[in-house]
Amino acid sequence: MIRTEELLLNVGPQHPSTHGVFRIVVKLDGEVITEATPVMGYLHRGTEKIAESLNFTQIIPYTDRMDYVSAMTNNYVLVHAVETMMGLEVPLRAEFLRLIVMELQRVASHLVWWGTYLLDIGAMSPFLYAFRDRETIINLFNELCGARLTYNYMRVGGVKWDAPPGWIDKVREFIPYMEKKLQEYDKLVTGNEIFLARIKGVGRYDAATAIDYGLSGANLRCTGVRWDLRKDEPYSLYDRFEFDVPVGSSGDCYDRYRVRLEEIRQSLRILRQAVEQFPQDGETMGKVPRVIRPPAGETYVRIESPRGEIGCHIVSKGKAEPYRLKFRRPSFVNLQILPKLLVGETMTNLITILGGIDIVVGEVDA
Amino acid sequence: MGAWLDEPLSWGNALVLFLWAAVFLLIVLGFVTYAIYYERKVIGWMQLRVGPNRVGPLGLLQTVADIFKLLIKEDTIPRKADRLLFILAPALAFIPSFAVLAVIPYSEKLYFADLNVGLLYYAALSGITTLAIVLGGWASNNKYALLGGMRSAAQMISYEVPLVISIVGVILLSGSLNLKDIVTAQDGGWFWHWNLFPQIIGFVVFFIAAVSELNRTPFDLPEAESELIAGYHVEYSGFRFAFFMLAEYVYVYAIAALTTVLFLGGWHAPAPFLDFVPGIIWFLLKFAFVVFSLFWIRATFPRVRIDQLMSLGWKVLLPVAIANVFLTALWLELFVK
Amino acid sequence: MNGKGLLQGLGVTLKSLTAPKVTTSYPDVPIEMPDRFRGIQHFIPELCIVCNQCARICPTDCITLTGKPNPDPEKKGKVIDTFDINFEICILCDLCTEVCPTEAIVMTNHFELATYSRDELYKDAEWLTDNNTLVRQDNNNIGAPGKGGAK
Repeated sequence: MIRTEELLLNVGPQHPSTHGVFRIVVKLDGEVITEATPVMGYLHRGTEKIAESLNFTQIIPYTDRMDYVSAMTNNYVLVHAVETMMGLEVPLRAEFLRLIVMELQRVASHLVWWGTYLLDIGAMSPFLYAFRDRETIINLFNELCGARLTYNYMRVGGVKWDAPPGWIDKVREFIPYMEKKLQEYDKLVTGNEIFLARIKGVGRYDAATAIDYGLSGANLRCTGVRWDLRKDEPYSLYDRFEFDVPVGSSGDCYDRYRVRLEEIRQSLRILRQAVEQFPQDGETMGKVPRVIRPPAGETYVRIESPRGEIGCHIVSKGKAEPYRLKFRRPSFVNLQILPKLLVGETMTNLITILGGIDIVVGEVDA
Repeated sequence: MGAWLDEPLSWGNALVLFLWAAVFLLIVLGFVTYAIYYERKVIGWMQLRVGPNRVGPLGLLQTVADIFKLLIKEDTIPRKADRLLFILAPALAFIPSFAVLAVIPYSEKLYFADLNVGLLYYAALSGITTLAIVLGGWASNNKYALLGGMRSAAQMISYEVPLVISIVGVILLSGSLNLKDIVTAQDGGWFWHWNLFPQIIGFVVFFIAAVSELNRTPFDLPEAESELIAGYHVEYSGFRFAFFMLAEYVYVYAIAALTTVLFLGGWHAPAPFLDFVPGIIWFLLKFAFVVFSLFWIRATFPRVRIDQLMSLGWKVLLPVAIANVFLTALWLELFVK
Repeated sequence: MNGKGLLQGLGVTLKSLTAPKVTTSYPDVPIEMPDRFRGIQHFIPELCIVCNQCARICPTDCITLTGKPNPDPEKKGKVIDTFDINFEICILCDLCTEVCPTEAIVMTNHFELATYSRDELYKDAEWLTDNNTLVRQDNNNIGAPGKGGAK
């Protein structure tokens, strides 16, 4: 009998596939993982604590930096929470603009995920194809609000900028373009036998486990649970549009992949309707008091970010600054299932599973 | 040129042979330099980029600059590494890769060693590089390198077997292990006389196994950059790292040349009326096409998993290769004799 | 495992081989940003009324300014004395230009901030005043008093 030893391997914090500074300490028996301990906090900036000394307008740029591939939805959850607390009304045109940018953001965010996931699995080209198309969205955002990643676009009571002339038409042109590109993606990747063999049946869990762990977003829907806050607790204008909530059945990485690609299609469907119904004119900023002071009390709102349920809990003492601000960050919650999924898997599957959960470390650590 | 080898060894002959070897080394180095450039350009274009274009006209000197950078880089050896083996491994990886090139014929006149067991010689020597990769991975005293080295050992051993068996069909058809004779046996004027068509099964198995032997996508598990960072050469820097890369690209050269010789009819033109073009041009065209296919595959496919790699090797490629040998033998026995 | 998907993928990459390339030639060709782009600020001292709003709204406290009494005794109010932005921590969030009532501080389309030393990232009023090319035209300062927005 050969004496064998467990190998303690630090995957990260500097590792190309941990999507930022995230560490997993794995115990390996050969290439099989016997124990995995995620270590997070390398990107912790104390956003929630910093927010306690800032007024609400000042907090918006900080939300951009939590989930930096989906800044628009983060903007929205904060302003939505404040508006709910203060009972503010947002002009229709502003709400439409918010919805359009959030859906564009969802497409952009899923494209980043798609590209980097394929990069994790070893295919280099899809990443550049995805970024080519994401670039179109980023340019749209750049024209709209002057930034490519950290938009700082929404304000309590409305949005900072009205759409520049011709912008809506550009969004309209983008929809068929993206639909065509999705077919190319399917040809390049979805049918690829090597890819399917890599992800089918990997990282499988059932609906009960997903709910126990509090998963949300594609990580929950891949198990067959039809839960999407846009449908189940419609916020913004989502109740005006027709769209489906794609679900998987087996809860493996392949289903998560399919659900996310289908979500891009559904987002394009929402966008198509939103662009058609976009009001001709109107205000982009509602009637907002000079200083934003939510009344004393507490509020929790939640919306569907590309990664799942992002929530914002504000405790106010009637001051311009929040007494306490807490974000429910979907990446952080979704990540908690990782140690359970990794036991018994190989090193290679570690990357596949971690990539499939779709974390953004800025949001995990906040 | 090969005739020199048959003459008695004198000082003059030795000098000539040495010079030829040196010239050939320069040719191979030139190939490696521009294969890397070619690869980066092709993959760049496939990824909607332009590829290297900064150093020299059209970026032609990019690889030269990269190699120069590697050469002037500080040579680091980890303190806890096994020093001797760590130093030995890159050289051990490179020497066989260069040595296997001796048996490859480029045209009727242009060849180096006319060895009658050429194919065996190739298979035997190329196996040594595996050893170097395992050594490098182990001597680095790094966990990622060790995993990469171990994967490499498993992979190379598993794929050496179908690789060699897949060419048995070719050997049966031409009745020789001599690469020059194998090419001569494919001479019939037309491209369907090449081994590619009668040996299509063998060719597919050979090509898959060859890509795997080269450690290239989709079989680049030993260096899987998204899992093992760089695998076995993670601790290497400077010219030692360059040697590993060099060995890898010299094997690209060797495998592309071997594929051309074994399956694509070597220097023969695809049709009789194209005979006026010199054989070496045909050889180079086919060779360039094989190299292009390798890059093309790299730009498209994701990486396979180690267990899938093993089952593909042992459960699919090996039985298919053996079946191919039987079918070829049966065909020869029933219809040719 | 029939290989159809693999061949389709190879087809896509082969087609891309000759497709138009999407990369830009930055820095050989400068990138043109849309007018709304939030780049390094341009400062106009003559317009500044030293109201301190920009320094107050800044989420990272990167703006420091001091004023002095107006040298012209006829006029009331203060004029700007020093105005510094620390670009080590400035996040170009646009809030300072948004609140500025006189548009004394506006965004430009410049974004190249890389320097060899951190000290060079402290930009003073003079530097910011000279940074006067590609200034943003449309400033839409919704937060400023007396100009739309804050009703």
